Amino acid sequence: MIQQLEELGTQALKDVEELDSLQSLESLRVAVLGKKGSISEALKGLGSLSPEERPKVGAAANQWKQKLEAAIEARKRILEGAELDRRLKSERIDISLPSRRLSLGSLHPITLTTRRIVDVFRRMGFDPVTGPEVETDFLNFEAANVLKDHPARDMQDTFFLGPDVVLRTHTTPNQMRQMLSRKWPVRILAPGAVYRKDSDATHSPMFHQIEGLWVDRQVRMSDLKGVLDFFAKEIIGPEAKVRFRPSYFPFVEPGAEVDVWWKGRGWLEIMGAGMVHPRLFETAGYDPKEVSGFAFGMGVERIAMILHGIPDLRMMYQGDVRFLSQF
Amino acid sequence: MKVSWNWLSTLVDLSAVGTPEKLAEILTGLGLEVEAVNRQGAGFEQVVSARVVKKEKHPGADRLNLCQVDSGDGKPLQIVCGAHNFKEGDVVCLAQVGAKLPNGMQIKAGKIRDVLSNGMLCSEEELALAAKSEGILVLPAGTPLGKPVAEILGRDDTTLELKLTPNRGDCLSLLGVAREVAAFTGAALKAPLPKGLPAAGASPISTALEAGEFAPQFLGCFIRGVRVGPSPDWVRKRLEAMGARSISNVVDATNLVLYELGQPVHAYDAKRLEGKQLRVRMSRAGEELPLLDGTTVKLTGEELVIADEKKPVSLAGVMGGGNSEVTEATVDVFLECAEFDPVKTRRAASRFVKHTDSSHRFERGVNPEGQRLALARLAGLVTELAGGAVVGVAEAVGPARGAGLKRAQVELEPAFIGRFLGLEIPDAEVERVLSRLGCAIEKSGAKWQVTPPAHRLDLSIREDFAEEVARFLGYDRIPSTIPALTNAPTSLLDSPAAQSFEALERVKDILASQGLRETVSYSFTSREWLAKFGLESSLTLINPLSSDQEAMTPSLVPGLVAAALENQRKHFGSEALELRLFEVRPSFQGPGAGTAVHSKSRTDTGVTETWRLAFALSGTRYQEGLQADRKPLDFYDLKAQWEQLVERLGARGVRLTAMGEGSRLPADPRYGMFHPGQSVAVLGGKEVIGAWGLLHPRIAKELKLRAPLWIGEVDWDALRKLARFAPREFKAWGEHPGMERDFALLVRDGIDADKITQVALAAGKPLAKVVRVFDIYRGSPVPEGMTSIAVRVIFLDDSRSLQEAEADEVSGKILARWKSELGIDLRG
Repeated sequence: MIQQLEELGTQALKDVEELDSLQSLESLRVAVLGKKGSISEALKGLGSLSPEERPKVGAAANQWKQKLEAAIEARKRILEGAELDRRLKSERIDISLPSRRLSLGSLHPITLTTRRIVDVFRRMGFDPVTGPEVETDFLNFEAANVLKDHPARDMQDTFFLGPDVVLRTHTTPNQMRQMLSRKWPVRILAPGAVYRKDSDATHSPMFHQIEGLWVDRQVRMSDLKGVLDFFAKEIIGPEAKVRFRPSYFPFVEPGAEVDVWWKGRGWLEIMGAGMVHPRLFETAGYDPKEVSGFAFGMGVERIAMILHGIPDLRMMYQGDVRFLSQF
Repeated sequence: MKVSWNWLSTLVDLSAVGTPEKLAEILTGLGLEVEAVNRQGAGFEQVVSARVVKKEKHPGADRLNLCQVDSGDGKPLQIVCGAHNFKEGDVVCLAQVGAKLPNGMQIKAGKIRDVLSNGMLCSEEELALAAKSEGILVLPAGTPLGKPVAEILGRDDTTLELKLTPNRGDCLSLLGVAREVAAFTGAALKAPLPKGLPAAGASPISTALEAGEFAPQFLGCFIRGVRVGPSPDWVRKRLEAMGARSISNVVDATNLVLYELGQPVHAYDAKRLEGKQLRVRMSRAGEELPLLDGTTVKLTGEELVIADEKKPVSLAGVMGGGNSEVTEATVDVFLECAEFDPVKTRRAASRFVKHTDSSHRFERGVNPEGQRLALARLAGLVTELAGGAVVGVAEAVGPARGAGLKRAQVELEPAFIGRFLGLEIPDAEVERVLSRLGCAIEKSGAKWQVTPPAHRLDLSIREDFAEEVARFLGYDRIPSTIPALTNAPTSLLDSPAAQSFEALERVKDILASQGLRETVSYSFTSREWLAKFGLESSLTLINPLSSDQEAMTPSLVPGLVAAALENQRKHFGSEALELRLFEVRPSFQGPGAGTAVHSKSRTDTGVTETWRLAFALSGTRYQEGLQADRKPLDFYDLKAQWEQLVERLGARGVRLTAMGEGSRLPADPRYGMFHPGQSVAVLGGKEVIGAWGLLHPRIAKELKLRAPLWIGEVDWDALRKLARFAPREFKAWGEHPGMERDFALLVRDGIDADKITQVALAAGKPLAKVVRVFDIYRGSPVPEGMTSIAVRVIFLDDSRSLQEAEADEVSGKILARWKSELGIDLRG
């Protein structure tokens, strides 16, 4: 009987090594080691053996069982590994095919530039505010000391909605709106759309400005310069310089054009500024003997065009995706 | 305004300035911005006079000449020349090697048909002296050789173009600019100008003031026996430099005075004046006045006119009358020199659209003490240029002028200036600047009384003098300082303005994070464009640039659709146009289309500006990828976008509700632009605050849109109020697993999924927490008019694990309610 087990086991070992599929390996396991497998069959005659022989045969049978199980397990691992390799190979994809891309959104360069500018001034203590785009003649002009029938009105071509209602020509009315609504000190920054009756490659009938106003006791013109110096360096870079040139805006006195030195571009005129005209304080109900202040107003598009290298102002308002997707 | 360097140098010594470029720098630094410096001789450098010593045929070309020319050094140069209008001995203009002509031509030595040419003989065209010319320019015989041609031709002036601000009317003259230069350099003004009116008797024509304060003075001068004719060269050159053209000697004289002194003056043909008096008076409504430019204006009673005894002869301060114009036949002239009200002049000029050199100056205010000087200068020029003799002078001067003219003194504490500018300035320096500008200073202790000169109408408060000092010290002298904060910044928590700014930035970020691109459209469009969307503007521009931009828009959608069309126009290829745009901007509601707005108060226009948030989407769900992935965007993509926006805003009480058939919403013309079956209204609380959906196919077809366009708009002011920007509070989640039950339902058409989930949630309280439709199917074997809807209900209790039996029991209740309320059965 031991002889028979020996033959059976040797043959099974040989078969295990030759099998090349998990399925046939399993079939073999069942055929040899299963309840009705060949080893069990072979041991059916165990009962007829002598008590001395029985343990020997039993031990031999167990040895063969363990040997075969180990061999089958080893073979199984090899076959499984090979099968995984095959599967992985078949599952290879072309990683160079196009991606399934979701749209990335973007903000308009006017918004991006406004934010940059607002952030700089915020750090210095200015608070952002907004105001209406349709304004009274009073707030847009009279309260800004741009009197009726004065040639200063020619400086800005105005869109009218009624005899005394206009599309604001500058963000300056925010100065008076804020001063009328609060006590000094005032430190505000008012971004927004403004309108002038002008349209060509460098003028748009609608564009954006940012107005700044700082009113307090003993505000000096040097403070205006310091604030704008800091602004220029933050927006343009540490090499930026600011130059003031005397100019005229009815709502300030003294008034200045502000040029900045932009590396590789030279001096660029980017805003108007000056010390708040005392007449504005009188209108606001502030005592010009008690307070002074400075104000400035800059064009957002102009700065955006320089920052982003945008060649044509009109691109800003056309909604062209090829433009919008770049920022 | 233009400034001639040569002319200016007759009024002030420019030697301390040096060059026109330096002058430009000084003036710009003083606030008189110089936009351009134009040298008349630009391009004439290295163009000199030379004599043709020898002229013969070019050996290799019949049509060319080979010349030897001598530019005075006795060493003739060989020049090849194509012109024939000159002979040996003529003096011509030689452009030497290295010259760069006004037309940009560079002169180099080179061979022309194998013969060396060392320069070029120039034509008038090449020297930009004429638009077109034949042959070369031959100079008069006897012209010295080797002299710069610019000098020979008198092209030695340089003009500066000034961009003057409206406060500096005093600088609309060479005298005004000279004053600034003198104050800056310390040079004295030269005075080639007469001291007073010519000594003469009474004028045969007198002047009278009949317009009160609007015309405070009217001087005149009668000159007999002039010969009207062309002006001499020096006059022509001066006018040319100022950008004006010569008309006749008498008229040119008036223009010389205008440019030199800034005082507009006028010359009448005395014989054409009726009566013995000219008066300045208000016009009479309906009066007609023919003007010098050939037009006739109908006066309104609001204008100042100069009139003789019968008729108006001049629109005062704006333009002379054609009925009294100086012509070649004129023998006697009457010269007017007056002062007119800035506002009256401005209104008249703008009413008749006659903006002239004269009105430009009167609008800005002329020197009230400058009339006598100007009239004397004018009389002198007329007699110098046109002969004749001064017969008499007329003077009508109102009470506030002449001896009565008083400039208000301004109280100035000199230390104020340094304090205000942030700069230490000794009092002496303040005094020096103001004195040089012509201010009179009376000192009494720390307070000064300053009287500005008559021509500086713009100086009236202490800040004006601070600017004068800063201008002359140089703005560069002002240091940089940082102002101190003296109170806390405005709290974001209690400033609505700051909050709305924050919210605006926040929502833009959310929209961009959802894949949308921000765009900016104009606030105005055409009525026709709005009408395509069933919209009407209630606010119209009175003076639009064009009718395309006359209607203030009540909605941002038309602008976004216009952008979509523009993108479609530029898009090519077979792939769908990918478009995801948003905009957050105000919309405008006024009193009605074509109705002018009348403000309610000084600060209230009565116009409502509502900020809106709008979007437009077209294309596929994914922007790149293979065909199979690129499914077109549909309603549910938009719905996801919308829901996530609301969620991220933390907005409460925002719901969607169907529009169109079966909707309980009242018909609203604003929503006619949507596909009625694929759009929703947005409810904020009980109010409709917006809508979104598919652009109505009828509109899409009319606009020739090539792909479906999803659009939407919501009242941002309203949505913002429902949003929460406060920090979100953490909510714990249950630790106990829930239980799911799936149902396949047979549902009649017309019952929306919403209804099914609401009923289930109500019936399944409190355990049924989530009800979700996860599949739908129509078609065989589902009967016609029915849909199979698969619904999953999730049961949860945060405090314990549920038993199967509990879920079954609640499911039974839900099924019963579906059946009783909606007639829904399980699909068998």
